[in-house]
Amino acid sequence: MKKTIQFFGILCLMLLNLAAMAQTISGKVSSATEDALPGVNVVIKGTNVGTTTDLDGNYKINAGANAKTLVFSFVGFLSKEVEIGGQSSIDVKLDEDAKQLDEVVVTGLASSIKRSNLANSVSSISAEELIGTTRPATLDGALSGKIIGANITQNSGAPGGGMSIKLRGISSINGTSEPLYIIDGVIVSNAQFQNGAGTNAFSGATGQQTGTQDQTTNRMSDINPADIENIEILKGPSAAAIYGTRANAGVIIITTKRGKAGKTKVSFGQDFGASQAIKLLGAEDWSEAKIKQYGGIYNVGVDEALEMFKAANGKTYDYEKEVYGNTGLISNSRISISGGNEKTKFFLSGSITDETGIQKKTGFGRRSIRANVDHKLTSFMDIKVSSSYMNSNNQRSFSGNDNNGVSMGYSLAYIPNFMNLYPNEKGVFPRANIANNPLQIVEKAENNEKTNRFLQSVSSDIYFFQKEKSFLKLAVTGGIDFLLTENEVYMPDDLQFQQQRANPGASRYTKNKSLNTYIQGFLTYNYKLGRLDLNTQVGAVRLTTDRDLSFINGEGLPAGQRNPNNATVRTFDQKFERWQDVGLVAQQDFNFEDKIVGTVGLRYDKSSLNGDNKKWFMFPRASLAINIAKFDFWKISQINQFKLRAAYGQTGGVPNFGNTFTSMISGIVGGRLGLISPTTSGNGGIEPETARELEFGADLGFFNNKVNVEFTYYDKSVFNLINPYTLAPSTGLTQINAFPVGDLQNTGIELGITVAAVQTANFTWNTSLNYWFNRSKVTRLIIPNTFVGSGFGTWGRNRLVEGESPTAWYGSPNVPTTVDGVTTNQPTKYGDAQPRYQLSWSNNIKFLKNFDFSFLLHTSQGGNNSSLNYTLKDEGGTTHDWSTPSTEVDAAGNILPMGRTARSFQGLSTSPSTTANAIYDASYIRLREVALYYSIPRENLNKLFKNAVDNVRIGFSANNLLTFTNYYGYDPEASNFGNQSVGAGVDLLSFPNTKRYFFHISVDF
Amino acid sequence: MKLTIKTILASGMMFLATSCTFFEVEKVIDPNNPSLESFLSNPTLAQLDQMGVGVQFAMRGTLETVMGDFYRITGSFGREIYHSAATDNRWQTEILGTRPVDPAGIFNQPYNGFAQTRRRAELFAKSAETATILTEQEKQGIRGFANTVKAYVMLNQVNLQGSNGIRIAFNDLSAPGDMLKPGPFVSYEQALTEIKRVADLGADQLAGAGSAFAFTLTSGYNNFNTPTNYRKFNRAIAARVAMYQKDWAGMAKALSESFLDLNGSLTAGPVFTYSTAAGDVTNPFFKVANDANRPDILQPLFLTQAEAGDTRVTSKTRPRSTPRLIPTMTISFTHEAGQYASNTTSASIIRNEELVLMYAEAMVQTGNLSEAVKALDIVRGSAGLQALATAKPSTIGNKDALIDEVLNQRRYSLFFEGHRWFDMRRYNRLDKLPLDAASHQVYDKMPRLQSEIDWDARNPQ
Repeated sequence: MKKTIQFFGILCLMLLNLAAMAQTISGKVSSATEDALPGVNVVIKGTNVGTTTDLDGNYKINAGANAKTLVFSFVGFLSKEVEIGGQSSIDVKLDEDAKQLDEVVVTGLASSIKRSNLANSVSSISAEELIGTTRPATLDGALSGKIIGANITQNSGAPGGGMSIKLRGISSINGTSEPLYIIDGVIVSNAQFQNGAGTNAFSGATGQQTGTQDQTTNRMSDINPADIENIEILKGPSAAAIYGTRANAGVIIITTKRGKAGKTKVSFGQDFGASQAIKLLGAEDWSEAKIKQYGGIYNVGVDEALEMFKAANGKTYDYEKEVYGNTGLISNSRISISGGNEKTKFFLSGSITDETGIQKKTGFGRRSIRANVDHKLTSFMDIKVSSSYMNSNNQRSFSGNDNNGVSMGYSLAYIPNFMNLYPNEKGVFPRANIANNPLQIVEKAENNEKTNRFLQSVSSDIYFFQKEKSFLKLAVTGGIDFLLTENEVYMPDDLQFQQQRANPGASRYTKNKSLNTYIQGFLTYNYKLGRLDLNTQVGAVRLTTDRDLSFINGEGLPAGQRNPNNATVRTFDQKFERWQDVGLVAQQDFNFEDKIVGTVGLRYDKSSLNGDNKKWFMFPRASLAINIAKFDFWKISQINQFKLRAAYGQTGGVPNFGNTFTSMISGIVGGRLGLISPTTSGNGGIEPETARELEFGADLGFFNNKVNVEFTYYDKSVFNLINPYTLAPSTGLTQINAFPVGDLQNTGIELGITVAAVQTANFTWNTSLNYWFNRSKVTRLIIPNTFVGSGFGTWGRNRLVEGESPTAWYGSPNVPTTVDGVTTNQPTKYGDAQPRYQLSWSNNIKFLKNFDFSFLLHTSQGGNNSSLNYTLKDEGGTTHDWSTPSTEVDAAGNILPMGRTARSFQGLSTSPSTTANAIYDASYIRLREVALYYSIPRENLNKLFKNAVDNVRIGFSANNLLTFTNYYGYDPEASNFGNQSVGAGVDLLSFPNTKRYFFHISVDF
Repeated sequence: MKLTIKTILASGMMFLATSCTFFEVEKVIDPNNPSLESFLSNPTLAQLDQMGVGVQFAMRGTLETVMGDFYRITGSFGREIYHSAATDNRWQTEILGTRPVDPAGIFNQPYNGFAQTRRRAELFAKSAETATILTEQEKQGIRGFANTVKAYVMLNQVNLQGSNGIRIAFNDLSAPGDMLKPGPFVSYEQALTEIKRVADLGADQLAGAGSAFAFTLTSGYNNFNTPTNYRKFNRAIAARVAMYQKDWAGMAKALSESFLDLNGSLTAGPVFTYSTAAGDVTNPFFKVANDANRPDILQPLFLTQAEAGDTRVTSKTRPRSTPRLIPTMTISFTHEAGQYASNTTSASIIRNEELVLMYAEAMVQTGNLSEAVKALDIVRGSAGLQALATAKPSTIGNKDALIDEVLNQRRYSLFFEGHRWFDMRRYNRLDKLPLDAASHQVYDKMPRLQSEIDWDARNPQ
């Protein structure tokens, strides 16, 4: 302890005082298009002395007599150094930096690096890129098509999102392949909680008491995208190794907006929008001939069906349009106030989002407030507080898989268009030919969710000393993420299908409470050794999670009542889950004049989720970047940047909570409590799965960075994949829940080209083209070939087979296959759920000074869905081409209509219904974002508002405006089972995805 | 604020103070459920009671899809009923034969459920072996109970798999590593031999089990809750096994030790009970009248081929107010299964009615035709039918005709209880079952599960 006191004493004595003679320099900073640039950093080279430009781009700086050079830097622009040379007025024009090489990228728990020195391919998404064009509903939706190396898909189009993001392929089979999310330094929850909507009393998608088919949203939908300043994506272990056991699937680092010193700035933004289904499928008309050919209509015999058809007298109804054909209305309002002085800066914001869905009584809403405050206590200590509260809610109705006749897309597939389902004058809904009249479900069934969430983080940097050639600082960050998600699923007793249940009327109230706490402390020592810049870090992190998940389910409700407490049959559930992770980190960075930049690092982790809670697991990393163009021998002036880089890193994936337990299950019989052993076994010795990634790349800049090319190849392998060990089920155990079953390899290429194509005063055009693909392969498997993920048997499931992709679809026919001399019946392999490649093209064009046009075109090619869409519509007789004669015949030789061919899975055709008839190419080309904005010229504003208003911008935009696909279904992006590592891409007429149109106005005061 | 050495020191100390627990992560024990281990070594009487009740809970089917699907699959294969699931055509296409049954599909729940119950019964017995509180007689009672349950579920399992057979050997279940090496599949006949051995062993154990069980037999076993009475249930199951083995003498002997009572109530026997209490399950065979979603509709020959006045037709089925159409079939299905009054009505496990019919069959097969007629007439009489001598005089003294009559009575007495398909199979009459569409076929077995095939591919025996 004595030594510590001495140490801190010395540190404090070392604090510097700066004093020098003054010279005052002033001037104006503007862009190539002669717009004033506010907030530009102006620093005297080699010192910490600096200022920022005001709203008109003007600056004034008191420089010491020794000051020789001013450095002007601003995010999004190339930095510029100007010799002072005795001038007292220096005006500067900054060029836009298409690739933002000087931008500082957060790469670790307490480290950041200039983009030009990065040894990894780190994607950065700025606020402008995120929602500057248009307004997808959620944060993750706004990332679609923008991250090279990511496979982002929407699980369903229901309001409130539900997105899956997979970075560089499959990171786990049984665990999560979703990245780790960090907001302002704190690990936050992106859980997808269950609400029971898919259980027996409701849609009946699963026979279990809880399940994976509830179609809920994931919690990133709580975050207000407008609060975000910047997002950085560490795509694989080589970049994310410092995050240890939770980083196998990559890390998404989100930084929220903060105040800047200067005049208080008030910004107000309002979007008005509308949403519509991208596509409706339509239904074929019926005729007497068709009824006879069909054999009636679904569930109704010929005679009765003919009677109904005749009674309808030619009148038809478009129920798909009635249900999904509405226009949703969208309103986003947001206000932010930011400002401060040298000591204290603040950013306050509030937002209100309200969306109604394309189906009546569905919608999404979010309220959020945020206060980010920065305070400099002394010259060597600052504190940053980020504090936000969010309230989000959604009403999603029922879609996707179903066994009770309540899911919308599913029901609509079976209803003939001549059947009148509208309620009579007394409000009584006629019976449909399926279990429930879908219009009654729309009107009366409810599936609601609301979330209240607090996100807090506090961080502080304390410099023990700060000298010209070295500094030592302690950086501490802590925070909490508390959320309570409450769900209400309600089916009144007068619903037709409820009337047929033994106990009609069902409700389920679910409460999912989650508290994450996070704390980290890092000591950073930075020093110069000759021409070498060195940075040493040591630190520790701790993450804890506590969850409390419960529900009350009631069946047999008193008429009109919702409280499950009064129900005939009540089911309760209460689950507690908790875990803690601790990590120790050491990292050494070195930088030789920005020419050679390297890092080595080490992280040790332990977790209560592992079988041995005391065992430490090691995750090393190393990386090297060589800026060849910065060496003196480089003479090719056209190529101003030429960087070769290589990075290696390891990360881990922890077992799921409960994997170590083998616990009894309770049940009641004859009023007595019984306990039974589980059908699966825990594994008390399970260890984390680990990923190793080697990444190579080259970054090239041509013509002073007018053209940038970034190329990356990666090989990311996951070892000791944690997966259920499928046992012979006759043993009475179906599996060991967690077992290191094998290894998996992902390889891929990412190629990005960014071009500042035109840069003139009246016209600028920036464009970037990104191309990427990933291939996954199981490289080792110690267990029998095993179906993994969810799916519908004959319609295709994913399967672990050595040498094959874990996302390939498998299904019938089962054919004799010989491996190592053993012949067994094995299912046939079909296409892969992962796309062959993705390509995105984004463009930003500024013209006539005040107009701004941008668009993002994205394509995903070669991915396959397991689709039951034809099966359902054919079975219901509503496919658009049902009656069209096909080339297939039945056993008697009669030509079958299209709706009765092998694709319908009804077994009438002499061509067999194999899984080939269920696996469909889900490729698409989509105009994800397009927008045109106009900024009212400053002069006009000044005249109009007497200098009270700084900026007014109006515009129009659209999201998913155009989609080109041959896929049969509401949308090629669909996943009935939500965010699964494998088993995504199963489509049963999922809730239609929407296109969204907006009018925007924003005003800055 | 002035930052001094002291303040820095103070914050540094605070950081150190928290660091004691900072680096600790707890050893988590399951906060939600008791661990299996705690039940396997020297359990308390309460734990034994809970495990014993648990085995009864499991035997009834932990999910609707265990016993529910067992009766629906066998009922559909045997053309007694069709399960008209509105949103799952696999019940028509796969089960009725237009497409092979997916070996990895949804129809494996009964197989898994039976295997799991067998293991739970074994774990219960294993646990009891370590219980110092039990007497040897009480342990014999638990062993006998466990072996009886095992015989019941294994018979169901092997009957589903038919000539595919099942595995009968499993290593010590206490060590996880041993789980990985189950024995090979054995033939249908070998499996029956093993099931007979298990049932007989259970009977011997029950005979030496004293006067009371050390655990609760729940209300479904009201007259079978002592070792002596439970042994009669064991012998009834043994008679079933002998019937499938065509061991007619063995069958008659087992029946004689069972609760067969030619003069007693035909409904006597243990039952599965159900309730709507939290944690309990409801009757998986029950459907509300005229269900539009997932009704079990009646194959109409059950009506048309019935003898006039058979009360079982009206007590076990009911007309639908809206006839059901199954896509691709041309029949309008006017009736549905309906032998259970509500979702809490008990379901018979095995009852005197079946024992009487088994007795009749044993008598026919061993040449005691008059005794067979006597037994058949008991069942006929209870169904409101006249004695065979009056109604079907040609059957008297005619062995083949009496076998037809046994199967016919079994069809009506044991309707939709998992017997018809097996009966037709054991007399090689599957081709006599009706087909309601050209693409249909009657299977003679369920396919072996893909996970079993995969296991053997990885672990050749």
